[in-house]
Amino acid sequence: MTETFPIKQPIWCAGCGHFGVLAAMDASFDRLEIPRHDALVLAGIGCSGTVQNHMPSYGYHALHGRVVPSAIGAKLANPDLTVVAAGGDGDGYAIGGGHLLHAFRTNANITYVVMNNETYGLTKGQPSPSNAGGYQGQREMDPIMVGLSLPGSTFLARAYTGAPAQLDDLMDAAINHARAGQGFAFLEVISPCVTYNDNYHEWPSTLVNVDEDEGYDPSDRATAMALNMKLASEGKVAAGLIYRASATLREATGDSPPTPLEGIDLPRFTDSYEQVLDGYVG
Amino acid sequence: MEKENKVAEPIQIDDVNVLVSGQGGDGSLTVTNMLGSLLRARGMGVYTERDVLSRIKGGKAAASLRGSLNERFVVRDRLQLAVIMDEEGLHGVANRLGGDSVLLYDSSDAPIPEGLISDDVRVLVAPFGRLAVRRLGRILYKNSISTGVVARILSIPDEEVRTEFRARFKRLGGAIIDQNLKALDLGFEIAEGMELSSDTGVFRVDKGDIGERLLMTGNEAIGMGFVVGGGRFFAGYPITPATDVLEFLQRHLPTFGGVAWQGEDELASVNMAIGASLTGVRSGTGSSGPGIALMQEGIGQAGSGEVPLVVVDTQRAGPSTGMPTKPEQSDLNMVCFGGNGDFERIVLVPGDPEDCFWLTVDACNLAQKYQMPVFVVTDQAISQNTASVPRFDLDQVKIDVGKRLSEEDLKSLEKYQRYAITEDGVSPYSVPGTPGGQSLVTGNERDEFGNVTTLPGIRQKMADKRKLKLETAKDDLPKPREYGDESAEIGIVVVNAGWGAGMDAVDELKKLGVASRLHHPRTLWPLTDETRSFIDEKKRVYVIDHSSSAQLSGVLMHAGISSQKLHSIMRYDGTPLRPVDLAEEIYRRETEK
Repeated sequence: MTETFPIKQPIWCAGCGHFGVLAAMDASFDRLEIPRHDALVLAGIGCSGTVQNHMPSYGYHALHGRVVPSAIGAKLANPDLTVVAAGGDGDGYAIGGGHLLHAFRTNANITYVVMNNETYGLTKGQPSPSNAGGYQGQREMDPIMVGLSLPGSTFLARAYTGAPAQLDDLMDAAINHARAGQGFAFLEVISPCVTYNDNYHEWPSTLVNVDEDEGYDPSDRATAMALNMKLASEGKVAAGLIYRASATLREATGDSPPTPLEGIDLPRFTDSYEQVLDGYVG
Repeated sequence: MEKENKVAEPIQIDDVNVLVSGQGGDGSLTVTNMLGSLLRARGMGVYTERDVLSRIKGGKAAASLRGSLNERFVVRDRLQLAVIMDEEGLHGVANRLGGDSVLLYDSSDAPIPEGLISDDVRVLVAPFGRLAVRRLGRILYKNSISTGVVARILSIPDEEVRTEFRARFKRLGGAIIDQNLKALDLGFEIAEGMELSSDTGVFRVDKGDIGERLLMTGNEAIGMGFVVGGGRFFAGYPITPATDVLEFLQRHLPTFGGVAWQGEDELASVNMAIGASLTGVRSGTGSSGPGIALMQEGIGQAGSGEVPLVVVDTQRAGPSTGMPTKPEQSDLNMVCFGGNGDFERIVLVPGDPEDCFWLTVDACNLAQKYQMPVFVVTDQAISQNTASVPRFDLDQVKIDVGKRLSEEDLKSLEKYQRYAITEDGVSPYSVPGTPGGQSLVTGNERDEFGNVTTLPGIRQKMADKRKLKLETAKDDLPKPREYGDESAEIGIVVVNAGWGAGMDAVDELKKLGVASRLHHPRTLWPLTDETRSFIDEKKRVYVIDHSSSAQLSGVLMHAGISSQKLHSIMRYDGTPLRPVDLAEEIYRRETEK
């Protein structure tokens, strides 16, 4: 076996939620039997931005806020890859917030896992846009409600590192959604920062798990939106598979370019190149 | 109808420069296109230049054209003929008329202001717009009417023009052809009144023997170069004057299994291209100055992370939003030196559409082989103006994927390190999907495996390795080209549209008795040895700086060229470089010595 990069221990603090996300993601590739060389894990900047270093897949460390467009580019270029983007809430909702809107709109077949600790941990505790200490003590930004408001969104889920079994299920579902060509899968994982925003004790009473509600229909966008708005007004947050479009609802982007992008050997194309040039003879 | 006319034997010319000016959206620019086709049919090479505002309708819009017996990439300062559809257009053109020039003016709205046009200009006046409405019912026909007069002025036989009209309007149907032919005949009738007969006008244009040519803009040629160079992913965001590259690729890349993507902004676009490139697909992005400024961080990421990336910068007049439709070469500092920290990049600066094609093919190979960002930098002039160029010989294109590792290659290795230190600085690479080649790519400093580190010893080795790649690339860099008298003491250094203007300036200087040699580096960064020796060997070197801070001179000085040797000629009024202007400036400085 050819020796490749050594997998080092994460730099995270003991008790950090990110350990749970890493474990779920790493195990999900095995559970779903995805060969590691076919997986590309991209991560942003911040504590969460090192997650790719701890798995034996192809890894890319993107610029701050740019993990989503990097992942979309990779997937459009090689649709055979399983592309998973990961990052923090500052990375995804503040500096990269604009891209999130367009990821929902584009509906490319990638999975995006946001490890939301509601703070900038690596720079020592500045508030992020999803921080609970916002306007009138509310969470000022709920990316799942943002996603619900865009007609192109197809998969919206929220997990919690304190509920690892559900996290595993949602991770599998999110990776499968994109792999199956159903579009952009957005999974937010509540992953508390034990050093700067240790709110583990709050989450069990804050989260309302829709997966446990047998009457909840995750394919009904309007109901999902109404429930989330109601919960927000009560200071609560929905967890589980909140919305998943039925497969036929919207075609995903970049699923099947006409030929593999890689084949650039010239002779194969020369005749068609000449045809393009013919159009410019004058 | 005519103010003045003197019928004599037509003046024989082999180089014709015509400007047509109207309002944006009024169709007046079709007169230039029509004339271009007529001259091409007569075996001439043509170059057309647009001068428009950044708006959809209205505002002065002019197009000029040059027909010549060989390929030329600039319209001369002095025009033989100006076709001006309104008073506003007169003000921009007055200083380009004189001597043998003819002014054809549409007097429908206003007469020519007293004293504006110099007395030696032959002025022909007719109310084209009013005649079009009265006789043909639509003002649009003024263009076909005036084309008739233009053809007569240039002694192009009526029948050649009718043939061209039939071909051009064919797809629009019989009624449209008939109406336009009627308009054309009305133009001929007006010309009769000016005592211009078929084949005996003011000028008689030589026939040339330039055979089949491509009529292309620099932007189109860059798009074509990207496709042929194996580019299969391109992401961009609309911006004047760079959008045409994205549009060309959206039209043509899908045929070849490629993707051309309009990102939500430049930050997304550059990072999408990087993401695509990670998978081994040749990828690029493009913009104009403001967009390239936004992409700076991404370009640095490609430099640090050693990700191949082609970046097209179609320069326009800055700073900030500047003048979107006007030419300038003032992004040179940004492309050569922009970005945080130290990273290696190659900067190519084509000088005409044919050059755009070949340098983009080179950029695709260089980016992948040396795993770094490679800029293809043009200016508004060469990117949007149309030139006739020889058909590209695709047999000359080579694709070089560098040190790409296959699954079998990987198996034979004891260990695979994405950032392995090698003798030439270039690390073998594997892409996702290849078993056994799993690796980490990052913009942070890292060890050979790609694990992030700040250890001083490793950091320095990695920085040296990246620098070494540029040394290694040296022999692969596109070589400069030159024009003019090889033994001349005077050198002129140009990039982009400076090449076309410079060739004519050299000819002009020769007429003035000054021998000069034009040098187009083609690779601006790193500076090639050929450019260094050229500057070394010349006694004085004039640098054409299309910027207000002499950026091209600055890049040369940064590369170690002595400022003593360089004499900057700066132009930054938002107009294209003109050959006689440059020649006269050099002549003035030479004779003052």
